[in-house]
Amino acid sequence: MANEAEETIRKLATHKGVVGVIVVNGEGIPIKTTLDNHVSVQYAGLMSALVDKAKSVVRDLDPTNDLTFLRIRSKKSEVMVAPDKDFILIVVQNPVD
Amino acid sequence: MSSASSSDCEDKDTATKSRGNLQDEEGLDWLKPRTLLVPDDQEDVPDADLEEEIGRILTTINPQWVADEVAYHYGQAKFVVKPKPTFGKAYPLYVYQGTAIRKDSDEAKAQIAAGYGKVGFDDAGPKRAKVKKSTTEMEEEEEPEAEPPPQEEVKEEEAPDEEKAKEEGGEDQEGGQADAAADEETEAVADEGAAEEQVPEDAGEAGETHVEEVLEIKPRVKKLANQFNFCERAALTYNFPRRSVDTQTVPPPRANYGATCLQSIIFDFYQEDYARKQREKEEEKPKRLRKKTAKHVKSAQQIHDEQLAQRIREAWTILERLVNQNIYDEIAQDYRYWDDPSDEFREGMGSLLPLWKFQFEPMRSHAVCDVQWNPHYQDLFAVAYGSLDFTQQQKEGCLCLYSIKNPAFPEYSVITDSPIICLDVYKETPYLICIGRYDGNVCVYNAQLTLESSYQYKSDSVRDKHSNIVWEIKWGARMIDGEASFFSISGDGRVVQWAVMPGELQATTIITLHSSVPPIPGPDGTLLTVNSCGSCICFHPEKADIFMVGTEDGMIHTCSLKYNRNYVRSVQGHHMPVYRIHYNNYNNTIYASCSGDWRVKIWEDGRDEPLFMFELGSPVGDVKWAPYSSTVFAACTADGKVYVYDLNVNKYRPICVQAVVSKKTKKLTRVDFNPRLPVIVCGDTKGTCHVVKLSPNLRVMCKPPKKAQVSDQRTLQIMKLDKLLSLVRDPPFQTGVVDEKFDDD
Repeated sequence: MANEAEETIRKLATHKGVVGVIVVNGEGIPIKTTLDNHVSVQYAGLMSALVDKAKSVVRDLDPTNDLTFLRIRSKKSEVMVAPDKDFILIVVQNPVD
Repeated sequence: MSSASSSDCEDKDTATKSRGNLQDEEGLDWLKPRTLLVPDDQEDVPDADLEEEIGRILTTINPQWVADEVAYHYGQAKFVVKPKPTFGKAYPLYVYQGTAIRKDSDEAKAQIAAGYGKVGFDDAGPKRAKVKKSTTEMEEEEEPEAEPPPQEEVKEEEAPDEEKAKEEGGEDQEGGQADAAADEETEAVADEGAAEEQVPEDAGEAGETHVEEVLEIKPRVKKLANQFNFCERAALTYNFPRRSVDTQTVPPPRANYGATCLQSIIFDFYQEDYARKQREKEEEKPKRLRKKTAKHVKSAQQIHDEQLAQRIREAWTILERLVNQNIYDEIAQDYRYWDDPSDEFREGMGSLLPLWKFQFEPMRSHAVCDVQWNPHYQDLFAVAYGSLDFTQQQKEGCLCLYSIKNPAFPEYSVITDSPIICLDVYKETPYLICIGRYDGNVCVYNAQLTLESSYQYKSDSVRDKHSNIVWEIKWGARMIDGEASFFSISGDGRVVQWAVMPGELQATTIITLHSSVPPIPGPDGTLLTVNSCGSCICFHPEKADIFMVGTEDGMIHTCSLKYNRNYVRSVQGHHMPVYRIHYNNYNNTIYASCSGDWRVKIWEDGRDEPLFMFELGSPVGDVKWAPYSSTVFAACTADGKVYVYDLNVNKYRPICVQAVVSKKTKKLTRVDFNPRLPVIVCGDTKGTCHVVKLSPNLRVMCKPPKKAQVSDQRTLQIMKLDKLLSLVRDPPFQTGVVDEKFDDD
């Protein structure tokens, strides 16, 4: 599993335009990252809060529903978040020219 | 008198009455005799005497009174006069000695003196006050107003008492002593008040004659104590002293708790509760039922870990897809929606739009030896990496599954220890893939299993396995007992059927391809028969036991599973190895073949000459009929071009020739049509797969004829091909077509 995860992160990071990949554990601590430490921590903290909020939005509208993925498009980059109750995967990608 | 007579009358009345009653009641005769019984000696009195009235006179004189009664006294032996009763002339009939005694008797005085008859405090008070009032009337009332010293009061009281006493004294003539006693008495009352004990004593001192007077003045003789008068008794119990006792418990631990309550959270808790109840219900089942299930149950931690790993994998996959979507967004749009508009102006000509290139980094130096779209998932295709440079053969190969959703990395890849030359995806279970390898082994891979488990079946230990390169491999129909089977053709000249048994492969040689070359004398004088090397195999779409085999010497043999000695038919199709034979999807009698002799030929079953022959100017690696049209086929050549023909549009020239790769460095090896989408994939010798889109002119569908009797596309396609064939077949000598073609070129 560990190797598989390493491999996956490596693969994702080599995709065109991918700036960074961050794996956040259930407690909101980045456990694996390809970015700088402080940037990763910042992403992890902010995204955990956002994911919680987004999840509550989706679930409050319909309790049987659930949040699966989150894409945030900004002027400079796109942040893709895969939220789960035990982990959060974050990929930051710059748009292709 | 009248009263007496009346009473008599009444007696009579009652007598007669009773008698009458008796007479009436005859049943009671026996109670009383009718005549009064009269004693015998009764004096006879005349009625007149009986009737006489005797008067009774009530006098004060007791006629039976004896004035001086004597009685004999035995002690004195003489008669003594009986003492006269004190009550006068009354005669006591009954004497009862009671306990009551007169107050003025000596005994009573003695008792009073002894302290009996004391009254309680309660009774004493008011009585004494009454007495005072009765005696001293007005003066008493004045007392509260003026409160002079007690002596003056005494004097004031004395005066009326003396006056009263004098009046009484005047009447009784008993004078001074009694007065003095009375005075003393009143003084005692005034002075001492509550000292009642002295009162009887004083009374006693006052003498017998004055008793009445004294008692009259103050009738507050003490009541004899009534020992049963409880109400007069007071009892005071002890008051328990009060005490305050305090204890303090250890304060319970406190914690601050904050949470948000949302609809979803409530819902979750209900779900949890429901699940718990279900579990409890499950646990209530009898044990023997549970044991069966318990065997397969993994620990909760294991399940959780597996689920988590699976979730992470899925999340990664989707993230990768998202990233790819961002990168290849335009291509994805083109792939789905963009059609080359210039086709409208190029009558009968089309083009190919390159979409994606698929590369697997470790396989850059390998050639794509086979490529095949997945029959079930339209966006998935399998690639076999090997090498066609037999002087510098690679050490290893690779089986990859690519999805057009992720051009960067294969969805599934497994490195093998020998180059892979061919593959085939099982239609029934599209995750089972059989491969043929350079070292002669065949394997079956299960793409659902994880990478660690690698192949599911391998022919390594099978006895009759191939001894040369496996050139083509095809899944066949299921065997009689239900096992899946596939066929392989190899350079050793054999076609082998492999039965996929549980846990192993079983090989059966179907046919050995003997060549026309005469046996060659061996070094020790024996004659060696040389087999012709098979290079491709193709099964009849409907007749499962008919198949065609292409050999390296250019022969095309039609064989049957039922005859393993001879070919059904043999045609010298090409002059170089036949790389591919492919049946038309709409007509089972038409098939195409391609070869290293630069030619693609279209054959009709049963004819020795091809219907069409096309010269492509370079070794043709692959030819495939299009799934959407009966007259379209594509071929790829070693100079990196893809040729697309539509026989309906042009019988002599391709409608599209496009160089997909640079011919200097790369060759195209294989091509395959997607079964549903208008794209083809072709592989080159540098490990790249190119997915290109067919322009609209390359996929012209049949327009239904004006009469519009048939609208089904398939029948239209068949009709189209038949019409074409009838045109081609017409000239008895077929070579003309070929010649024409050659002339054109």
